[in-house]
Order: sequence, then C-alpha cells, then structure tokens
Amino acid sequence: MPTIFVRIEPSSSVPIYRQIIDQIKYQVATGVLKEGDKVPSVRELASKLAVNQNTVLKVYNELCRENVLKIERGDGTYVSSNRQNIPAAERKKAVANVLREAAVQAIQLDVSLEQVKELLEKEYEFIKSAKNKSE
Amino acid sequence: MGKNTIEIEGLKFAYGRDGVLKGVDLQVPEGSIFGFLGRNGAGKTTTIKLLLGLLKPDDGFCRIEGINPQKDAISVRRIVGYMAEDQQMYGWMRIEQIVKWVASFYPTWDSKFTNKLLDMLELPGKNKVKTLSKGQNSRLALLLALGHRPKVVILDDPTLGLDPIARKEFLRYVIGLLQTNGVTVFFSSHLLYEIEPVADYVAILDNGVIIKSERTFDLRESVKKVVLNTSKNDFTKIEGILDASKMEERVALTIENCSAEKINKIKDSYGGFVRVIGLNLDEIFEAYVIGNRGEATGV
Repeated sequence: MPTIFVRIEPSSSVPIYRQIIDQIKYQVATGVLKEGDKVPSVRELASKLAVNQNTVLKVYNELCRENVLKIERGDGTYVSSNRQNIPAAERKKAVANVLREAAVQAIQLDVSLEQVKELLEKEYEFIKSAKNKSE
Repeated sequence: MGKNTIEIEGLKFAYGRDGVLKGVDLQVPEGSIFGFLGRNGAGKTTTIKLLLGLLKPDDGFCRIEGINPQKDAISVRRIVGYMAEDQQMYGWMRIEQIVKWVASFYPTWDSKFTNKLLDMLELPGKNKVKTLSKGQNSRLALLLALGHRPKVVILDDPTLGLDPIARKEFLRYVIGLLQTNGVTVFFSSHLLYEIEPVADYVAILDNGVIIKSERTFDLRESVKKVVLNTSKNDFTKIEGILDASKMEERVALTIENCSAEKINKIKDSYGGFVRVIGLNLDEIFEAYVIGNRGEATGV
C-alpha cells in the first residue's frame, strides 16, 4: 500500500489541511514522492492520520488544482508528472505568496535581505540535491 | 445543506435550583462528525442525557431523526448508539457474554459485524471485562454502541482517561468505521486538539448556552488576533472583539469574523498596524469562553 509520512501538529496555528498540503509538497519537491507514485486513497490517509475524510479530500482537491497530484478516474491518485501545465505566471505567484510570509518574518526578526538571500539559496540547493540523490 | 439529524431548541434544565442549560439551540447536520465542546461541568453530559430521554427538560425540546426522546425514548435508543462517559460494564462478564447480552436488547443487532469488530479492535472474547485495560474498555464500549448499526452515534467524552496513542487509535476507528458509512457522530470533549482533526463542525457550550456553532474550518479561519501599535483606547467601533489585552502602546485584539475587509478598516482607523496572527483552536476556544470582550482596554 502506498504511504505518505505526514506529521500533524495539533497545537500549531497552521490549519491541519495546510499542514498536510505543505508536507506532501515538500516530499514531492525533495523526491521522496516521485512522479507517478500512487498516494493512499482519501479513506486510507484519513484513517491513518486520524483526520476527517473531508479534510483529506480538501487537501487532494487543492493539490490536484495545483497539479501536484492527479486523479486517474476509477484507479487512484498519483503524483502528477506535468507541473509545466500550470502557466509560469501562476507558478511564480504561488512562490511569491510563500516568500511574502518569509519577508515579514525576516523584517520582524531583523534578518537582512542579504542574509535572507543566502538562506534561500542554501535551502534551494539542499532540496535540489536531495531530489537528485533520490532519483 | 441536507437535513439535520439532531435538533435542539431552547433546551433548559436545572438540577434543583442550579440552572445548567439555559436555552440551548443546536443543529447537527446529517452525516457529519460534530464536536461538542465545553469545559468540565458546562453541561455537555446533561445535554446528551436529555437527547437520549434519560432526563426531562424544564423547557424547550430536542429531536433525533425527528423523534422526540421525551415521548419515544425506545425508538431513539434503536437508532442511536451511545457511549457514556467513563462507561461502566459488568466486570464479571466475559467480552463475548456482554456482547450477546447487549445484542438481546436490539432487534437489528449485526453479529457478523460485531465479530469482525472484536477482531479489528483486538478484543479477546474470552477475557473478563474487569481485566481489560482502559483502552480495551473504551473499544468494547464503542463496539457495544455500534452493534445494532445505529444511524446516529453519541459519544460522551469517549477518550477520557486514554493515553495519547490509544486516543488517536480510537479516533481512527471513529473515522474508519463511522464516517465511511455516513453515520452522524455527536461527540463531546473538553480536549480541543482532539476535536479539531476529526470534526466537521464544532459547537461551544458555555454557561448553559451555545456561544458558537460553526464548521471547524471556518472557525479556524475566521478568528484572528490583530496586534496594533496605538495609543487609542476606544475600540467600540470594531465588531466582534472576543478578547483584548494592552501593553503600553501595543494592543492585541482577538476578533471573530475577521475578514480582510475588517482588517483593512482597522488599519485605516487605527494606523500603526503591526500584524495579524492565526490562532489554534485552543486559543479560539479560550477567547470565546474567558475572553474579556474588549473591556480590559478601557472603553
């Protein structure tokens, strides 16, 4: 049976569905989940995580909309292979949204733009190399 | 939205002169998992006992699947599976005996299903009830509540006293066995972090009334903490303040229905805007139950 490792932090102020989305995306980005991998059904994952099925459904719908996952009718849900289908502008916008939060945090904690750039580069390389290794 | 499985209107109840429920209104949609939250002693168990016809209300009414438990408690018990808080079962019985015994009360008992459950819930049929661990005890109580294939399941603080692993396991069964089959689950708890992952809806009972009833997801999204840098003292223009605290020039307001539009308005009127913080369900619960409604800022 396909598995996904997701850890839910109940006391976090990040909503549960968002926590699951972030972790699945991370695993796809780092190559832990590879293109064409089958993911558990909504029922299976909900039961495994002890999370409401509607929450998992919401996660899968959102990830399908973003082309991270793909539903094959009557067969199951898979890690999508063609993220390029999303227009470049939209992909950039999605990244910008996440970076905005990082920028707010950096300003609040007094971390300079230079330092932020450095950190971003490091993270980017780290994930890229993790993905290459797993391929 | 479809119909409501449980309907409660203006429900009042007092033990002697102490009013416990002071007019409870609540609707539980069919097929939902509904988390019923409240502090210890808020009246959760009393509400559940009224729903089952075990107590008689002083005023108001409730219905399950359209049936009034005051008039027809037997019909209610046929369609409802109930697991009491800290459920006591005869310790001298063996598991298989108690299953048989409870089965005899229900014409719709599904022995095939309960045999499967004994296996799945890892309950050794030959063991005596008094020898069971707390986890096994609650699993047995769940089995006994589900054996007659109820449409509605009422669980009164079902994970009380369980360790975190047993608790998660129990919730896993609730999702796997009940949500999958479209059963309506009404489930009380004072543990919010436990309710949030599983509940479609939550209602907060406090001081004898429901102070909030909403989709879990919407509640999470709609209550925010807004931190302002301002010397102003009057926040009466902001609607829905649940809690306010002030430290010198900094004011933290916990606000319900906190839309982007509302935040913009606050920005315009108070300036010195600092940030908007998301809250977890525990913090939201606290704001509703013990929030000062903005009085601390000195209106």
